[in-house]
Amino acid sequence: MKDLLRIKSLISTEIESLLNQQVKKEAHSSSIYLSMASWCNRNGYDYSSEYFFKQAEEERQHQLKFYKYILDMGGNAISPDVTDIKQEYNSFREVFEEALDQEISVTRSISNIYARCLSTQDFVTMEFLNWFLKEQREEEYKARRALELFEVIGEEGTGRWQIDKHVGGIKYDSEA
Amino acid sequence: MTVTATLPQVSEVFATKHGCVQQDDAQRRWLVEFAGRTASFDHRNLMKLRKAVYAIDIEQRLLEGAHGPDVEIIFICASEHCYVLSLLQVIAIKDLLEGAFVMLELNQIIHNRLYRAYA
Repeated sequence: MKDLLRIKSLISTEIESLLNQQVKKEAHSSSIYLSMASWCNRNGYDYSSEYFFKQAEEERQHQLKFYKYILDMGGNAISPDVTDIKQEYNSFREVFEEALDQEISVTRSISNIYARCLSTQDFVTMEFLNWFLKEQREEEYKARRALELFEVIGEEGTGRWQIDKHVGGIKYDSEA
Repeated sequence: MTVTATLPQVSEVFATKHGCVQQDDAQRRWLVEFAGRTASFDHRNLMKLRKAVYAIDIEQRLLEGAHGPDVEIIFICASEHCYVLSLLQVIAIKDLLEGAFVMLELNQIIHNRLYRAYA
């Protein structure tokens, strides 16, 4: 009996399903960043708003990378429903705390897929995921650095205005 | 002298007392014998059938009791087949498909071990 399943698709149904969950997670992340961009803009933090618009676009690109990979491997990529996006935040700092939480959750989720690929010997998908693991270093660094600004500048007086200005300049250029 | 043996093209993947799934290597399709008829599915539609069947919350249907619908309609987009099944038949087809997919995975493992390089 021919192995028709393998002929049709490189990835297993389980990995396909995990990757589709990741597509949804990235789409959710993108929408959350968009909501953060809106909140910052409405509250006068224009640099942070711009930063979150860029983040939203990056997450969207990540979503598409996963989406196209699933299709290229012969799987069924599912366009996700994105619901329950928080629209209001209690403070400027809370926005960045939640941004970091979001990135930590994405790193965790990619690591889980990686672990599953390892145990099922899906080295092709592991190699594909390597790019995302490296990307998460940058994403977490940027989110953590933004929170650090709250500590080193402080929120008193014109602190938040200063923080906002510096958020726009956060970069990760490590060659490591 | 060359001897050409004609091998059967259709192999049984999995069977229960309610039905069976066969694989047609030549057509690259699966034949699902269930509810008194045989339906042929390509890879995409077999996946859709599996998704539709697995998505039915059997426990919830049982809890609904007399208030819920008596039948479940399984319609697969872009396929000429449609099933109208009772809850017991849903349980039976789920059982059949689960068994079939375990066998197809086992077949993949066998192919990996026997025919594909395992250096």
